[in-house]
Amino acid sequence: MTTDAGLHIDNVSKHYGQTIALDRAQLGVREGELVTLLGPSGSGKTTLLRIIAGFETPTAGEVKLRGREISRLSPAERGVGMVFQQYALFPHMTAAENVAYGLKVRRWPAAKREKRVAELLELVGLAERANHRPKELSGGQQQRVALARAIAYEPEVLLMDEPLGALDRTLRLEMEEEIRRIHRNQGTTIVYVTHDKQEALALSDRIAIMNNARLVAYGHPEELYYRPSSAFVAKFFAGANTLPVSSFSLNGSGRATVSLCGERCEVPIADNVDGAASLVVRPRSFSLEPGGARITGRVRESLLFGEEREIHLEVDGLGKVNALLDARRSQGVEVGSELSLYFNADESLLVPA
Amino acid sequence: MSGRQDTPFRVEAGVSRARGDRIARFAGGAALALVVTFMLLPPLLIAVLSFSGDPYLSFPPESWGLRQYETLFSTSQWTDAIETSFRVAVPVALLSVAIAVPAIFAAHRSRLKGRHGILVAGIAGLIVPISAYAIALYGVLSQYGLLGTYEGLVLAHTVLAVPLVLVIGEAAMTRIPIELELAAMTAGAHRIRAWLGITLRVLSPAVLAGGLLAFITSFDEAALINFISGSGQTTLPKAILESARLGIDPVITAIATLLMLATSVLVAGVILLRRTAP
Repeated sequence: MTTDAGLHIDNVSKHYGQTIALDRAQLGVREGELVTLLGPSGSGKTTLLRIIAGFETPTAGEVKLRGREISRLSPAERGVGMVFQQYALFPHMTAAENVAYGLKVRRWPAAKREKRVAELLELVGLAERANHRPKELSGGQQQRVALARAIAYEPEVLLMDEPLGALDRTLRLEMEEEIRRIHRNQGTTIVYVTHDKQEALALSDRIAIMNNARLVAYGHPEELYYRPSSAFVAKFFAGANTLPVSSFSLNGSGRATVSLCGERCEVPIADNVDGAASLVVRPRSFSLEPGGARITGRVRESLLFGEEREIHLEVDGLGKVNALLDARRSQGVEVGSELSLYFNADESLLVPA
Repeated sequence: MSGRQDTPFRVEAGVSRARGDRIARFAGGAALALVVTFMLLPPLLIAVLSFSGDPYLSFPPESWGLRQYETLFSTSQWTDAIETSFRVAVPVALLSVAIAVPAIFAAHRSRLKGRHGILVAGIAGLIVPISAYAIALYGVLSQYGLLGTYEGLVLAHTVLAVPLVLVIGEAAMTRIPIELELAAMTAGAHRIRAWLGITLRVLSPAVLAGGLLAFITSFDEAALINFISGSGQTTLPKAILESARLGIDPVITAIATLLMLATSVLVAGVILLRRTAP
């Protein structure tokens, strides 16, 4: 990565005494790209974002923005924009004054400033609310003002820390749309933190998945979803079953033979498997019609979701397996009964455990 | 079955709740009566008496008029005392704010070791009985030659007033999210600019409320003043005490009425300010 454009996180760690909040993170974000840091709480995603913003200093490593090492600069000197979960609008200022704040600090001339503020309030659809204070705006409107405030001075990168976390579901979908549109129109480079994988899927060019202070996978959503690089990614990101596999033998050309419920079957294998492995099977891969690999267990739970039915199957040696079946065809399934499910082995994938 | 079992139980609960309501209503009424008798009636009486036209205190007054107010504003003993009170209370309010605000910032926005001790130390003054504090202060002030001086009095009152500003300001500060500053800083403001322009600005109604309370505390202070003030520091409360020693001067009713009026306005101001605070 010798390119000077974009944002580069190079081997960044953050330790608090004995606690490691971030362990040697490595991440490149291209100019104009929207990258999501996705992970459960405590995975280090917010720490990484705060290091990029300048609220924390890394214990080791470098942060490069357009070729400039910024990890020791104050937030004011970095040229980044930030959107917070709780909006953090200045309560004593109107929407327009909030948006103008960064421009004022940067000593933009008044005429130019007013033009830019009007343009941004127009962009986020709040031109008529320019003179309202945050208190008089709804949560969604406040977050739009916060977004306008953060991109007003055309930051080199926009950081967003769970910006939709405080909004209800309908508003969240609406704001996702808004963020996508603004990202497309303005071409802003965005680093976006969330723990919601639907949000990540809806917004991201690329997704960095974090777990236990480490960046465990980085790639395009499709790739992470259908070719997960580890059992954690498959489970956390794709909601897939990860069945423990005690042993397997390589067959060459990316395939391996595993033993499942006493039957042998051939499955695709990821090229990074080295040691213990898990078989990734997505809940929708299962079917009641015989064919392909088979697992047998006891039905523990059956939940109807309209068109689909979710079955929790307790399988000896494999633990709990989730399956999504066609609701109509699975009407006969009863809790407590024995059930065999089939899946196409080609749709599964053997990955590192 | 279950419905029939439920019914008597519910009735019983209703009876005991009604009894509880009666007790609560009686207690509330009694408290109200006590407040009216001992807190509202005396000041009201004073206010009525202040419009007496008599040169002595009697109830009911034999004549009505503004005589007491005229005497108050034409007697240098009283006007001087009012001036002295202002000359003490205004610096006390300013000084308390100047001490409390940086302390609140240090406690909430710094990484100082022992920063939580700052507030505890600042508020600890509240638990010292004022007479004990007066005696201790007497010793300290005389040690530094401040006894009976204007500076000594201002310092003593400031020690009383700082905790009030701290308590009100600190309550507001805990409700100001640190993200406001961080947002200002990413937008390009230096830390000091973010603190002054955003955090302190949002905190200012609470600071103003604390300052008013500090002012009232000093203006109204009638205990310490007897221990530590010299002949040059006759504040209004001290002048009242001195005059009362020689017999009841009906002018006091006018002073008390004006004081009550001013305090009510200031307290209303404090309440309004705290409502606009975060």
